[in-house]
Amino acid sequence: MKPDLFTLVLQIAVILAVCRIIGSLFHFFRQPRVVGEMFAGILLGPSLLGWLAPHVSAYLFPLSSLGFLSALSQVGIVIFMFLVGLGIDPGELKGHGHAAVLTSHVSIVAPFVLASFLALYLYPRLSDDSVAFTNFALFMGAAMSITAFPVLARILAERNALGSRLGTLAIACAAVDDVTGWCILAYIVTLIRAAKSSTPILITLCGIIVFVVIMIYGVRRGLGRFESSYRERGALSEGQMALMLLLVLASALCTEKLGIHLLFGAFLMGAIMPKEHRFVRYIMDRFETITVTMLLPLFFAFTGLRTNIGLLKGREMWFYCGLIILVATVGKLGGSMLASRLAGMKLREAAGLGVLMNTRGLMELVILNIGLDVKVISPALFSMMVLMALVTTFMTAPLLEILCPIRDTAKEPAGAEAALAQLRVRSGSAA
Amino acid sequence: MSTQVCRPRQNIQRFMGHISPTNKSFVIAYILLVALPLLGLVGVLRSGRRLVAPISVDGVWKFGVDGAHLPAGRCGKSLASLQNSVVTISQSGKRLVLSLNDGPPAAGAGVIEGTTLNATIPLPETSTSEPECGNNIVLALTATIVRRPESRSMQGTLSVSECPSCASVKFQAERQTRSSGGGVH
Repeated sequence: MKPDLFTLVLQIAVILAVCRIIGSLFHFFRQPRVVGEMFAGILLGPSLLGWLAPHVSAYLFPLSSLGFLSALSQVGIVIFMFLVGLGIDPGELKGHGHAAVLTSHVSIVAPFVLASFLALYLYPRLSDDSVAFTNFALFMGAAMSITAFPVLARILAERNALGSRLGTLAIACAAVDDVTGWCILAYIVTLIRAAKSSTPILITLCGIIVFVVIMIYGVRRGLGRFESSYRERGALSEGQMALMLLLVLASALCTEKLGIHLLFGAFLMGAIMPKEHRFVRYIMDRFETITVTMLLPLFFAFTGLRTNIGLLKGREMWFYCGLIILVATVGKLGGSMLASRLAGMKLREAAGLGVLMNTRGLMELVILNIGLDVKVISPALFSMMVLMALVTTFMTAPLLEILCPIRDTAKEPAGAEAALAQLRVRSGSAA
Repeated sequence: MSTQVCRPRQNIQRFMGHISPTNKSFVIAYILLVALPLLGLVGVLRSGRRLVAPISVDGVWKFGVDGAHLPAGRCGKSLASLQNSVVTISQSGKRLVLSLNDGPPAAGAGVIEGTTLNATIPLPETSTSEPECGNNIVLALTATIVRRPESRSMQGTLSVSECPSCASVKFQAERQTRSSGGGVH
C-alpha cells in the first residue's frame, strides 16, 4: 500500500507537539518527561481523543495509516534497545557484594512468582484458550519483574543521587533485572512462535544459542575496533557510524529470523559493545537526538492508539486493574525492599530502593507491545498493564521525595561511581 | 562418595560450617527469598494447566446470512448488512468487541459463555419503517461456536433488538484469521 505522506507527516507533527507539551507539563511537576510522553500517547488514542472526538481521531489516525506509524516507531525502538543494551554494564554488580545479588534476584523472583499466582486468577477471566497458561503466566511474570533502567537513571540524575549507595545499587539491580527479564521474554516469544512455526523448537533454540555465542565470542572482539578507533581520534567517522548501525540492524534481523524478535538482537548488540565510559557517551550522543525527540514519541502514540481504557467497563474490570497494580507494586517494591533490608540497608534506604525498582516506564510498554503482537495478552489486559506501567512510574518521584528527600541524597559525595553513572544517564534522557 | 550422597543432612551441616556467618545468613536469605519462591512458581505453572479459559473467537470472521428468508423492508435490509460482510472480533476473556469492516463504521459488544456467543451491534444512522422498533437499529447475534482442529466457525440467528415485527434470520460465519495483535479499537 502506498503511504499517504500528508497523513503520516501530520501524525508525526501532532504527536511531537502533544508529547512535548505534556512532557514539559510533567517535568514542571518534577516528573520525568518520559512519563508525560507516555501519558500523551494515551491521550491521543481511543481512550481520550477517540472517545471525545471520534471524527478527529479517525481523520488523524485512520486505520490504513497505522502500519507506517508502527514501522517508524519500531525502528525507533530498535535503536532505543541498542542504547539500553549499550548503557548496561555486566560489571555493575561487582563491588556491591551480597546486597546487590540478593536484591536484584529477589526483585525479579518476587514479582514474577506473585504475577504467576495472579495469572491463576486472571487467565480464565482475561485470556482465551488459544493461549497456553504457562505462556500467559510466564509473560505476566516477565512483564511485572522488569525495571525501566533508563527512567530510573534519569530520576536518580535529577535528584543528584547517582553516586549514592542507593543510586549505584539501584542501577546495578535494574541492569540485572532487565537482562534477566529480556532473556525470559525471549524464551516465551520463542515458545509461542515455535508453536506456530514448522521449524522444531529444538532447532530454533540451537540457532539462538549459536547466534549468541557468535555474538559474544566473535563479533564482540571486532567491536573493540570501534573503541580503539575512538580512542585514537576522539571520534568515529561517518562510515564507522553507518557500519555500527548496520550491525545493529543485522543483529536485529537475525533474531527476528531466528524466531525471537527484532528487539533482542538490537539489545544484544548494545550489551556486547565496549563499555569504556566516554565511548558509550559518544555513541549515545550520536544516536539519541533523533530517537528521543522523534521516534520514541511515535512509539508512545502507537502504544496509546492500542490502549483503550474504554475496554475496562464495570467494577469487575477496574478491580482486575487495581489488583494488577497492587501485585506489581507489592512484588517489586516489597520484594526489593525486603531483600535490601535483610542485606543490611537502613529501612528508609531499603524502601527507596524498592520504589526505584518499581519504576517500569518505557521498558514495560515495549514488553507489553510484544505480548499483544504475539497475542499472549488480550487488549483489555494490555490496557490494564499499560495503566500499571504508568502508575508505577508516576509514583516513583513523589514516593522517593518522601522517603529520601533530595537534601539527604545530595549530601553524599559523588565519586568515580557517580561520574560513571552520570555518563550512563545519557540513556536516561532516551526514556 | 556414596556415603556423602546417602547423608545429605550431614553434608549440608558440613558445608554450612565452612562458611562465614555473613555468608551463612546470605545463603539462608537466598534460599528463603529466591529458591523457595521458584519452587512455588513450578507448582503454580503445573496447577494452572488445569484451568479452562473461554473459547477463542478473536479474529476476522466472514459472515453469511440466509438471504432467502430475509424479511421485507428496511428491517430485512438491516439484517442483510451482515450478508457476506467481514467482522473483526477482539476478545478479552469472555468480553468481545465486534467491528464491522464493510460499510459505515459500526462497533458492538458481546460475551461468550461456554460455546454460546451473544452480541449486539448498533448500526449507525439507520432506522426501520416499523413504528414499534424505534429509530436506531441494533443487531442482535446469538450463535454457537463450532470448534474444529484447523478452523473455527459459528452458526446462529440474527435479529433486530426490541423489534418483534422484524423476524430473525439464520447465519453462519467462518473465522478467516486471528486479528493483528489487538490492533486499535
